[in-house]
Amino acid sequence: MEELIEKLKGELIAELNLEEVTPADIDAEAPLFGDGGLGLDSIDALEIILILERNYGIKIENPAQGKEIFYSVKTLAEYITANQKK
Amino acid sequence: MKIYINADSIVTPIGFGTQENLAALCSYRSGLTNHTTSDVSDTPIVMSEFHDHSIRLESKILDLESQYTKFERLVIMAITDILDQTHIDLEDKTVGIVISTTKGNSVLIDHTAESQDGRVSLWKTSDRIGRYFGAANRPIIVSNACISGLSAMIVGKRLIEAGVYESVIVAGCDVLTHFITSGFKSFKSLSAKRCVPFDARRDGLNLGEGAGAVLLSPNYDENSILLAGGAISNDANHISGPSRTGYELNLAIRGAMREAGVEPADISFVNTHGTATVYNDEMESKAVTLAELQNCPVQSLKPYFGHTLGASGIIEAIVCAHELRMGTVFGTFGYERPGTPMPLKVSAEHQRIRKMRHCVKTASGFGGCNAAIVLSLPQYAKPELETQPAQLRSIRSISVFNSQIKVGKRIVFSSKSTEYGTFIREAFKKLGDENLKFYKMDNLCKLGYVAAGYLLNNVEFKPEEMGIIVMNAVGSLDTDLDHERIISEQGDAMASPSVFVYTLPNVVVGEICIRYKIKGENTFFIREGHESEVTMKYIEKAMERQNLRYCITGWLELIGSRYRVNLNLLENTGFKGDKGDTIETAEAAEVEKPRKPRRKPTKPKAAGNEQVDGEDFLTTESTKNTEK
Repeated sequence: MEELIEKLKGELIAELNLEEVTPADIDAEAPLFGDGGLGLDSIDALEIILILERNYGIKIENPAQGKEIFYSVKTLAEYITANQKK
Repeated sequence: MKIYINADSIVTPIGFGTQENLAALCSYRSGLTNHTTSDVSDTPIVMSEFHDHSIRLESKILDLESQYTKFERLVIMAITDILDQTHIDLEDKTVGIVISTTKGNSVLIDHTAESQDGRVSLWKTSDRIGRYFGAANRPIIVSNACISGLSAMIVGKRLIEAGVYESVIVAGCDVLTHFITSGFKSFKSLSAKRCVPFDARRDGLNLGEGAGAVLLSPNYDENSILLAGGAISNDANHISGPSRTGYELNLAIRGAMREAGVEPADISFVNTHGTATVYNDEMESKAVTLAELQNCPVQSLKPYFGHTLGASGIIEAIVCAHELRMGTVFGTFGYERPGTPMPLKVSAEHQRIRKMRHCVKTASGFGGCNAAIVLSLPQYAKPELETQPAQLRSIRSISVFNSQIKVGKRIVFSSKSTEYGTFIREAFKKLGDENLKFYKMDNLCKLGYVAAGYLLNNVEFKPEEMGIIVMNAVGSLDTDLDHERIISEQGDAMASPSVFVYTLPNVVVGEICIRYKIKGENTFFIREGHESEVTMKYIEKAMERQNLRYCITGWLELIGSRYRVNLNLLENTGFKGDKGDTIETAEAAEVEKPRKPRRKPTKPKAAGNEQVDGEDFLTTESTKNTEK
């Protein structure tokens, strides 16, 4: 899990153009969206859906479904672990 | 001066000419069908698309197909229809052309090409259309995302009011391509069924293609419809998501009604953008209510035409004009049950309206832009809004070029790095701005954002008092190439929403509006060069009619490693409102009065060695330009 969390942090930084942010800056349990935290928005949510599809083979058709899954890096990692095709 | 719609044409998959389209609407016929396979999408898609052979049959002009792109053919067909109905002659110097589109010939964008096909540039494709008609004036191109059509009508109206032209043909068009469908798909904004605006079941929009054209002039006959008012605003909230309050669309509606001299009780119906995405319709229900129009019948025509992008404002406004005449409001086809936070009077069936007088037509788009117009039956026209001509002076000018930023003649920032990415990051940091969103922007937006930061330093204003009217030659081509590369290499499904959103040039305006809370008029023109007469006249008229105190105007362009900014911050010293303190800068100067409108299409002259024209930009990245 720790390994996956670190990998995800790197992917988020690269894919969401989070320049000036290092993996150490990202608290795995802090909210990704809204004020504070990383301040991600709806376009970022769509990009995360793309990351899940491209890198983990996980499809999320309804963005509304993503709300809980995308809460933090940790919830994201948990969802991937539970749903990734072995 | 009153400006009327005196001829109109709609060309869509459900009809060639306005009458055929109205007949289709009368019988609830939609152009939207499910395409399990198509030339413009990797996956099944519900859309309203032309059959190529039907355009061929209808275009009448036999050699059109070989020489002109589908986009050009459709615009030519719509304008030809207008010319057939009237005595207007485009060779006449007093007749102008305004063209609206979001993506024009996006089918020709090719990241592998050594040099882009010239027709990718909207000014070039518009010039080709102008030349087809032997037009005396070069067309003016408005690319303002999904409000482009209404923007262009407002531009046409104001250019006549400003005395630039005596009449203007305004034409809007967009055609569907992988470029467009993949982008909307990446936003998860497409419905797999026919869209149901304002309905609780709505789950997205459908795309459509088509063209619309109107003739605007002060002449009046028994069939004329008055274009009584128009206004544009910006949400200053998000580049793709609509406002959560609807306040800014409400501002545009109120602005248009103010110009038309009408009250909410005068409005017979409202034709909304009504795309059927969850958030758009939610926002519109709030805006309509804020504008006190919640008791009017509300309609969306998207279930018939789909979302025809840069054409939608014009096509739907034409339908509104005929609805006023017919005394009928067309039903929002497929609507069953209410699904917006504020209740609206939406009906699936066509309705007879006894007291038909005025209507409001709205649109909203990426970049946070909103537009509204008021159309009126001429016999119910109200006295027009009286305004004083704007008195303009330049408060400050800024140029960005060659790793250097100048305010007036003073260098305020320069970088040792000749690499754009490094330069713009350094210039951003020097501003002391810590907005992390900067790093997510595309290169054109970073450029505009940083330039605006230096331009607006210490300038205070109210959100509605500031407008942005800017232009360039290549639109958003730099990012268009990125999006095209992704989908052609990896397929439509890998389209990136954070790339696609920047394939509209006016999004840079949206980014500036968000950062500096600017909610006034915002318009993006595509021009070959930095020519000033026509656009300056427009800016002057827009500031007068929209009661703007300030406006950011000028040139903003980037392609590859080449970039150029020349922006001015203008003040209307005749601004009516709470003036507060005036801004004094070392660089303040009276603005040179716009010269007489240019009467002949000539090549714009370079104004000193800082001039860069569009042709130059398009070709320098490569070796040659292929005008086909």
